[in-house]
Amino acid sequence: MTTANPVMEKPNRERTEEEKLLRYRVGQRIVHAVLATSFLMLLFTGLMILWQPLTLWARDGTSGLIHRIGAVLFMLVPILYLIVDRRGAKELLVESFTYDKDDIAWFKHAGRYFLGRAVGMPPQGRLNAGQKLHHAGVVITSATVVFSGIFMWYAKGNLGASGLALAASIHDLSMLTLTVLLAGHLYFTFVYKALSAMTTGYVPKEEALIEHPKWVEEIEHQQAAHD
Amino acid sequence: MGKVQLQISRRTFLKSAFAGGAGVALAAGQLQQAAAAPAAGTTTPWYYRGQIKSTYSVCDMCPWRCGIIAQSVEGRVFKIDGNPADPKSRGMLCARGQGGVSFMYDPDRLRSPMLRTGERGEGKFQEVTWEEALDHTAEKLLAIKEQYGPESVAIFGHTSGEFWFADYFAQAWGTPNAAKPSSSLCTSPREEASNLTFGFPVGGHEPVDWAGLRCLTLIGSHIGEDSRNTVMQDFANARARGATVIVVDPRFSSVAAKADYWLPIKPGTDTALLLAWINVLITEHRYDADYIAQWAQGFEELAAHVADMTPEWAAAITELDAELIRTTARVMADNLPQSVIMPGRHVTWYGNDTQRMRAVHIINALLGAYGREGGIYFNKSPYIEAYPHPPFAVAGSAGGCSAEPGAESAELPVGPSGKARADGARTKFLRGATAMQELIEPMITGEPYPIKALIVYGTNLLNTVPNPARTLEALKKLDLVVVIDVLPMEHVAWADVVLPEATILERFDDLWTVAHKTPYIALRDQAVEPYADTKPAWWMARELGLRVGLEKFFKWETAEEFVETRLKTIGYSLEKLRSEGGVIVQKGKPYLDDFKSNSPFLTKSGKIELYSEELALAGHDPLPVYTPVEEPPQGYFRLLYGRHPVHTFAKTQNTPLLHQLNPENDLWLNAGVAASLGIEDGDRVYVENQDGVRSGPIKVKVTQRIRPDAVFMSHGFGRNAPQLTLANGRGASDAALISRYTLDPISGGAGMRINFVRIVKEA
Amino acid sequence: MAIHAFLLDISRCIGCEACVAACATGNELPAGMQYIHLIEQTRGEFPNLSGSFKNHRCYHCTDAACVKVCPTGALYKEDGMTRLNREVCIGCAYCTDACPFDVPRIVDGRSSKCDACASATAAGGKPWCVQTCPSDALRYGERQEILAEAHRRVEALKTRYPKARVYGETEAGGLGVIMVLPDDPEVLDLPANPDVPLLVKTWQQVVQPAALSLTALSVAVTGVAAVIARRNHMQELKQLHAQQTKAAQEESQE
Repeated sequence: MTTANPVMEKPNRERTEEEKLLRYRVGQRIVHAVLATSFLMLLFTGLMILWQPLTLWARDGTSGLIHRIGAVLFMLVPILYLIVDRRGAKELLVESFTYDKDDIAWFKHAGRYFLGRAVGMPPQGRLNAGQKLHHAGVVITSATVVFSGIFMWYAKGNLGASGLALAASIHDLSMLTLTVLLAGHLYFTFVYKALSAMTTGYVPKEEALIEHPKWVEEIEHQQAAHD
Repeated sequence: MGKVQLQISRRTFLKSAFAGGAGVALAAGQLQQAAAAPAAGTTTPWYYRGQIKSTYSVCDMCPWRCGIIAQSVEGRVFKIDGNPADPKSRGMLCARGQGGVSFMYDPDRLRSPMLRTGERGEGKFQEVTWEEALDHTAEKLLAIKEQYGPESVAIFGHTSGEFWFADYFAQAWGTPNAAKPSSSLCTSPREEASNLTFGFPVGGHEPVDWAGLRCLTLIGSHIGEDSRNTVMQDFANARARGATVIVVDPRFSSVAAKADYWLPIKPGTDTALLLAWINVLITEHRYDADYIAQWAQGFEELAAHVADMTPEWAAAITELDAELIRTTARVMADNLPQSVIMPGRHVTWYGNDTQRMRAVHIINALLGAYGREGGIYFNKSPYIEAYPHPPFAVAGSAGGCSAEPGAESAELPVGPSGKARADGARTKFLRGATAMQELIEPMITGEPYPIKALIVYGTNLLNTVPNPARTLEALKKLDLVVVIDVLPMEHVAWADVVLPEATILERFDDLWTVAHKTPYIALRDQAVEPYADTKPAWWMARELGLRVGLEKFFKWETAEEFVETRLKTIGYSLEKLRSEGGVIVQKGKPYLDDFKSNSPFLTKSGKIELYSEELALAGHDPLPVYTPVEEPPQGYFRLLYGRHPVHTFAKTQNTPLLHQLNPENDLWLNAGVAASLGIEDGDRVYVENQDGVRSGPIKVKVTQRIRPDAVFMSHGFGRNAPQLTLANGRGASDAALISRYTLDPISGGAGMRINFVRIVKEA
Repeated sequence: MAIHAFLLDISRCIGCEACVAACATGNELPAGMQYIHLIEQTRGEFPNLSGSFKNHRCYHCTDAACVKVCPTGALYKEDGMTRLNREVCIGCAYCTDACPFDVPRIVDGRSSKCDACASATAAGGKPWCVQTCPSDALRYGERQEILAEAHRRVEALKTRYPKARVYGETEAGGLGVIMVLPDDPEVLDLPANPDVPLLVKTWQQVVQPAALSLTALSVAVTGVAAVIARRNHMQELKQLHAQQTKAAQEESQE
């Protein structure tokens, strides 16, 4: 388990002048990996019965099995997060649904952020307003996809026509939302070179300063207090 | 044997395989499609897997015997269809017929001849060769003949090969004690009542002239549950044409649901209803007066006899509405002579059944139905000679529903050592075919003379003969028990010698000849090789005959030779019969007009004997009388039994397909009664009879469809033969619960609806 | 091929189950699988009863809900019949849920229902059930002829059954099993309106295409935009670096 406080990495090699910040602890990265893996399992096996040409690969029942394994993993993610990083989970939930004046201001300029211009955006904390909204969307639509999924799983064959259509529609629309969110998620990761946050856990301080100045300030403040 | 078969090309097959229904013509375009291979990735249907062979035969799944075409590919039968040329099937088949494939491939079948190694009933056997089994049997039979005479061998026969043992072998050997359950446990009262009234029996194929029928009355006949193919066809067509249907049944049967009038009669009181109907027909002058004047005698006596038997009198007895009785009689009369009470088949109900059946026949006479279009036709046997053989050692009297019409002789046939039947004919009962159930007692007591050996061919002994406990006692006393069967039924465990039989599609058999409106002869060809080490009955009878000195009766070597010789007598050959659709239909004499000046009625008087002098002389009521039957004691119900449409007797319960469609029977219980007993639909209960015999558990069917004073279950379940892996232990056995019967003093029939049961909730 | 249909005359059916057995043998159905079920129906109280048999089977709806919801195309329409290619079926049971008559069953992980004897009829035969029905309650032929026969039969039935009617002429876009009913459909346990529910239509015709296309659209949009945005961000960083360098130089010059 990593230390409770994000710490600034001391540049340990001469060649690397870039200063880095710990953005996600190991536990958080594991949870993220589980979530990402199960989601992709579910997405692709789900698509196999949504788009007829893909049903070819669904015939032997393996995809159905994978979908169910993925579903169990996906549903375990919140529990897993609570176990490995209770504080992180709590922060995520609270922050995703808390928006301040800077967040509102950020949304007003979201267009330019989308087009790759982060410099000069209203100052953001650990999560920018877009990330908060993304996380909130994920939490809500995960709930709807899970509940409609459970319904279709356990009442398979006994749903009735309208029950099936309703559950499946909710399931489909939830997955549509989640997939769009995923696309956006990957988009910003690529645009703002953020992949390292979930691989090594660290982000360049430079990027952090542009996008999350309030967070960097907070860390430095804590660091100072610690020292 | 049976090597010469129809080799039909695929195209020809497709025509025959699918031509079963009424008038299918295949267009050339369709046939081209037929030749196309099935879509890639799908399982190849059986009819594309190779050369298809179509074989003409006669169904053995019930005693009705529809003409069939068996479709086989590479030595395996896949489908049985009705033969469109056959007057019975007309290209269609019932569920049981369709299940024939499943029956012949039942993995529980007997595979090899066996000799008993343990005690009787233990079911311990050793598989032996046919030589050993037949030599052993022959040796024992000859020893018994030596000591007690040939009459001491009883032969029971049922199913479509019964002729070889219960008729041919029995008569050649010289025993008058050959019996068929289809007589005294089924149709005897009907046949004897008809013999007494008209001078001829009803015959295997009830001669209702359906095509013009306008009013049909059924007394207990449950068409649809009793799924005789032709009857269902004729019934559906007659009704759709507008024929009125009257159903008398304590149970709202499938056919009652199709009826215009349902009379939920109190069981056992049918004769009172029939007499009241006669009363209405006569007092209201609604009978066919000209017909009666010309063809009947004893009308005045009948009119006087029923004068007081008003619908009101019958209503009190039958628990039916008097007006309903009156109305239905009028409806019957309004449609005469195209108005018939169907004689029914299994009529051994209360032991007074010949009198009831006389009342049925009398009404049909009053309606002027006999010999009239749309009434009841005169059936006629097809013309063909028997295979020439020396005179038999004894005349046959086994009767049965396959028996050909023939008059009762004054003298009972006597065997070579001077003994007549041991069943009490002429003493315990007046007349008719050998009463199977009356041959059990002599096996136990040795009276009037000992019966020491029993050959059971295709008869499901312990599920057929009433009082199975007594039958078991008899089996213990016998010196020799030979069982010939297809499946390891309960009584097989009691055999000394077990001979496994090839089923109908695995053997060639004698021609099937049917007395009919259009008399006909049907081919029974072989479709595939016999299963394991099984053999046809004709082969067994012949091999046994050769071993017991009956060579002169078995000059022929194969059944084909036997049949070819018979066919020559009508200018036919096997080849011709095969190429012509497997059926030869002849012309009949169905109506009065066909007889010109001769009387078609073969009674002494040449008339319909409404009043029976013969019964009067023998000390019986010359006119039908209603005699009350015993009522169920407090807390008991009358046990009624009948058919389920997918099962035949106790024969098909283990057939995988038919087992799937109906794996166990249920106990029909009136909903009001069930509520008062605290029994719910689907509860499992035991059924216990007046003698403490218990059967079950059986699932209760709580229903509005039955009177409160009776319960009903379908026959053939509650099996106790572990080798019947599917049927064993499923449901309850009506046969076990029929521990009593009342002997019909006229026909020797065993009235079996006199047993009462109570319901014991499962602990 | 012309549009075909079955005739199923409930007034004639006497519940003998010959059709069930013929279907099972002709189609070599494995143990436990059945395309036709006969269900006894009783109405009223002893002794005022009426009864019938429900000959429960696929009704081959023209507007077939099962075909609509089937993701794989295992269920499809042909000659007016609803066929089932079990090889392609994935056992999702959508058909079981969607069918207004509660017909398809999942057996051995795949859907199971009457396919109107596709192979046998292609070979020029009749469906096995039709060929064997002793009561002439079943027929198979061109839909128009079957409809005409159904109306003829209903007319003839009116005296015995005043409520007799044809069922399936228009229901669910017209059924492939035209029924002659002696009474109202509800009485005989048949839905008065077996049409595909609006929700199912919405799901199939709106939600699913929308979900697929919007997903694809969002991927496409973000894909294109990513190139632009990434370049923008790199420029932005470059400017930032330039400013920082400049500031540093200025600082060092001071």
